[in-house]
Amino acid sequence: MWIPQILDKTSSYDDLVTGKIPALIIPGVLSKIDCTSTCSKILNISKINRTSIKFGTSLSSHIYEKSKYFSNAQKSNKILKNLFLNNFSPLTLMRQKISKLSEKKIYTATENDRFYSDAVIRIHGNDNSVHLHRDNSNFEMCDYNVSQIKNQLSAILYLQSPVKGGELTIFHKMWNKKDEMMRDPEFGYSADLIKGVYRTKIAPIAGNMVILNPKFYHQIESILGLKSRITLSFFFGESSNDCLYSWT
Amino acid sequence: MTDIIWGTVTKIISINSFEMNVSHQKDTNNDSYQDVEKIHFTEIDIPSIPEDEQSRNISQIEQSLNDKFVKCEISGRNSENKLVCLVSHSGAGGY
Repeated sequence: MWIPQILDKTSSYDDLVTGKIPALIIPGVLSKIDCTSTCSKILNISKINRTSIKFGTSLSSHIYEKSKYFSNAQKSNKILKNLFLNNFSPLTLMRQKISKLSEKKIYTATENDRFYSDAVIRIHGNDNSVHLHRDNSNFEMCDYNVSQIKNQLSAILYLQSPVKGGELTIFHKMWNKKDEMMRDPEFGYSADLIKGVYRTKIAPIAGNMVILNPKFYHQIESILGLKSRITLSFFFGESSNDCLYSWT
Repeated sequence: MTDIIWGTVTKIISINSFEMNVSHQKDTNNDSYQDVEKIHFTEIDIPSIPEDEQSRNISQIEQSLNDKFVKCEISGRNSENKLVCLVSHSGAGGY
């Protein structure tokens, strides 16, 4: 069965890279208390700045605006550092877990001495969903050095669970160049691509981290209720020096 | 209003033209377009392709455009039956 695996002694980083498993779930990376206090800080800042959807910069917002991406990345990395003060950083905890699993060191990617964005916090509220897509910097971000990084994976830490919905659905279909014909002009792909394709779902449980191979098509189901789905996430992959590098 | 079509680039013909499979057409387009069209681009909003034609080469265009999903804003058709367009990439397939 092609189903997400819960981390145990037999879990393999290679199984994620090769697509043998759709995702790996690492339970309890963050305690419920730490999730609640982190979300409280995030929601306070989002009220002040009126940023209701996203903290942090991502490449997809600046595919062809490189200098803007890096200047925004600098700002958003500072916001994240301030948010995770007092030696407590969920981002560091995520990296430690990945490092242990892969037996490789992990760093934030750089380009011409400029740091890529460390991570993104996404807040999805009532009725929000994320349309069918795949993530593939090798194909789509040719103007950036991270397009040379191999075996891109995605790491997501759930900070707050919604009352209902918000599951991550992963389809057993990997992106292919030919699929570009099925693109939605704004974002993602036509749902016709995954008709009849086997799918598996992951519930957004606060404190759990999920690592997935983002070249498999995936989507986020509608969130129901007044409690938002809040996540901290980034991409990472392998460089030629056998280290992992992360970015968003 | 300018007619717009979207689709994937299938073949680079020269430093200012390519062939594409048209997958989407704007609902309010004045004309309709074939499933396969040849595009002559007068302007291109893709930083890795120099605006100055003298500075371009085919492999550079292939690397930037082949298989990519693009948006073409059409200003007319030329004597070679190619659509004359402003070309840019469109949206994103993911984060």
